[in-house]
Amino acid sequence: MVVIRHSPYSSSMARTALDIVLAAGAFEQPVTVLLYGDGVLQLLPHQQSDRLGTKNHAKQLAALPLYGIEKIYADTQSLTQYGVDVALAPLPVESISGEAVQGLLSEHDHVLGL
Amino acid sequence: MPTGVLHTLAASPSSAAFAECLRMIQPGDALVLLADAVYAHQNEAALPGASLPQDIPVYTLRRDCEARGVSPQGDNIINMADLVTLTENYPRQLAWY
Repeated sequence: MVVIRHSPYSSSMARTALDIVLAAGAFEQPVTVLLYGDGVLQLLPHQQSDRLGTKNHAKQLAALPLYGIEKIYADTQSLTQYGVDVALAPLPVESISGEAVQGLLSEHDHVLGL
Repeated sequence: MPTGVLHTLAASPSSAAFAECLRMIQPGDALVLLADAVYAHQNEAALPGASLPQDIPVYTLRRDCEARGVSPQGDNIINMADLVTLTENYPRQLAWY
């Protein structure tokens, strides 16, 4: 399970996390993604990354289901705090809160935080 | 062998990482304060939102306290060798920074 706490563009953490997730998918390892804190900001629609001359992070995210990576969760509290609407996200994301987040952590043998 | 997660927290008490780590911790886990996280011991009673969990073991790295001039209170002040042992005992670890 990969917990991503960073927003896109300001640091390479979110991008690196996606690379790791895609690598796991390529090796057919089951992987779960949890967006937590600033990580939920990756879900904002209308990201015009060309303004920064960099790859579009939302498009990278949208590719995850194509690699069989579909267990993507976002922390409800963080979504609410930033006013991020999962219905407008680049890919299907399930909003989960509090105990469900902790439960998710309990279900995984390997966890990685970026 | 514990099945909980060892959380290694290296961010300061005013940071988002600190709050998020504490929000994710659950019974059965353990917490290690490293680097700027040891500032949680500085004026402990007065720092809002920096109250450490009471229901799980919380360890503090002595070296990082001494470097920063922080005098940690309580038990579980550990050295590097203790930290290594903790990582051996908790197969699952999550780093917060």
